[in-house]
Amino acid sequence: MKNYTITVNGTAYEVCVEEAGAVAAAPKAAPAPKAAPAPAAAPAPKAAPAPAPAAAPAPVAAGATTVSAPMPGKVLSVNVKVGDAVKAGDVLMILEAMKMQNEIMAPADGTVSDVRVSANQTVSTGDVMIVL
Amino acid sequence: MSTQERIEKMLKKAEVIIAAGGEKRVAKQHESGKMTARERIAALLDEGSFVELDRFVRHRCTNFGQEKKELPGEGVTTGYGTVDGRLVYVFAQDFTVEGGSLGEMHAAKIVKVQRLAMKMGAPLVGLNDSGGARIQEAIDALAGYGKIFFENTIASGVVPQISAIMGPSAGGAVYSPALTDFIYMVKNTSKMFITGPAVVKSVTGEDVTQEQLGGAMTHNSTSGVAHFAAENDEDCLQQIRYLLSFLPSNNMECAPIVETGDDPMRIEESLNTLLPDNSNQAYDMYTVIKAIVDNGEYYESQKYWATNIITCFARMDGKTVGIIANQPKVMAGCLDINASDKSSRFIRFCDAFNIPLLNLVDVPGFLPGCNQEYGGIIRHGAKMLYAYSEATVPKITLVTRKAYGGSYLAMCSQDLGADQVIAWPTAEIAVMGPAGAANIIFKNDPDVAAKTAEYIDNFATPYQAAMRGMVDMVIEPKNSRPTIINALQMLESKRETRPAKRHGNIPL
Repeated sequence: MKNYTITVNGTAYEVCVEEAGAVAAAPKAAPAPKAAPAPAAAPAPKAAPAPAPAAAPAPVAAGATTVSAPMPGKVLSVNVKVGDAVKAGDVLMILEAMKMQNEIMAPADGTVSDVRVSANQTVSTGDVMIVL
Repeated sequence: MSTQERIEKMLKKAEVIIAAGGEKRVAKQHESGKMTARERIAALLDEGSFVELDRFVRHRCTNFGQEKKELPGEGVTTGYGTVDGRLVYVFAQDFTVEGGSLGEMHAAKIVKVQRLAMKMGAPLVGLNDSGGARIQEAIDALAGYGKIFFENTIASGVVPQISAIMGPSAGGAVYSPALTDFIYMVKNTSKMFITGPAVVKSVTGEDVTQEQLGGAMTHNSTSGVAHFAAENDEDCLQQIRYLLSFLPSNNMECAPIVETGDDPMRIEESLNTLLPDNSNQAYDMYTVIKAIVDNGEYYESQKYWATNIITCFARMDGKTVGIIANQPKVMAGCLDINASDKSSRFIRFCDAFNIPLLNLVDVPGFLPGCNQEYGGIIRHGAKMLYAYSEATVPKITLVTRKAYGGSYLAMCSQDLGADQVIAWPTAEIAVMGPAGAANIIFKNDPDVAAKTAEYIDNFATPYQAAMRGMVDMVIEPKNSRPTIINALQMLESKRETRPAKRHGNIPL
């Protein structure tokens, strides 16, 4: 096991890297940068997504509230945009599933920091749709 | 020794036992927001009604110097008393005595009240607050748990069994509550888990607090292990009294009839306008429940778990009913694994204790998806079919809107033995969602849109079912309460028998 200090956007992260068996024998020197997208240890600031926004399931900042799909369905409409302040119980979006227009409500007060779906998109159970 | 001296000796012995773990430990119990065992019993039962049994029981362990230890009351207070004037048996573990740990004689005290409760046909309330097995007593303690589990099982369906977790309950200790009908958990002070955070950490590496792993809300909202959450000890004990008011004392009796003062013939105009015109929009099923039951009063079991289905006790014309209702507001009211589990157990409790079932149906189907299939929705969903078919209490089904396919059967259609099926004009009783059905039937038709609209008009109605007598009546929503109460009165003399068998084999 090795400890690295990695700096992303000026913030230092302590990262502990462990070699998983003998499988990844060749790129022995490489593991350090790989560890960057998963700053699970330190209280990650929201600035993190900057380096690699292309990666599909972007990690969610610690302490953020996520609204994920309760069941598979199709997004009918999204009522909020990034930066909107919402209160618990506000309808964030309508998810059409099981022959019903389901109102997806904010689980807590907060500010919308990310909207990951748009109208007509299909989602499956557990997909993160909105981050507060 | 004179008679007077003998009396005084007895009083002195009793005094020591009533003092339990001593002032210091009692103060600590209070500091942590908990009542003592005796305070809890006093709060649960009618004032002055408690009669204590087995006060002088003593352990007989001689391992590790235990023989020198006096453990007042063996760490558990047992006996009987009344709730609203009705006999109830109770045991309360005493955390101030050796951490409420369970040894051979502690278990024997509990087993005695379990057997008495069964013999007398009275509910048993267990107030749990114990660190677990008294390790010094080794397998005698283990055997104690086993005996309690056995009696729990034998008493199941004979008398209502209610458990309150009012402190720790870990390891084997969790299974006695789990075998009972209802579990209460007190917020912040109660914990339930098979293995604590330390073991979890060493085996799986997961870092988790006691509260996250087995706190009151974990088991009320995530695992579904608990049925009710309480703010504190007092609230918990008052809630148990409230629950008992809805229940009969045993399987041979009916629930007490309460004069509620609500007119059984009350018409509820608001129900005529409750449903949105678009059947794909949700509404709150609690509004329907509040409108039809006596004084809008109901007591909900598992309120925070599998909220796509509602299970609650209420009264109609003063008599207890068990309500199972789809909630269109949550996950469209579909049936999934947890909803099936939750409702099946509730149905079986009601059937065991002569409580009529009222099913409020607005169900679009079973939830599709890999997690549901891999999780065994087939065998879980089958529990609902089994539980409803098996139930011989009066069964009334009110279809407010969607009643599609297998999920309608699982909500107790006439085929599963509903004695009365009542539908609102908005009911859509069909083999599947009408749009989907039309797509199959008119797949190659050039005029598919018009045909689909026509199909929905004809088939997404209560009349296809009513034409075949699968629906007994179609009523105006506002007349729901009088219609259901009429049906309940008509069904009071219901007798239905099943073939003799040892027991069925419910798909668990």
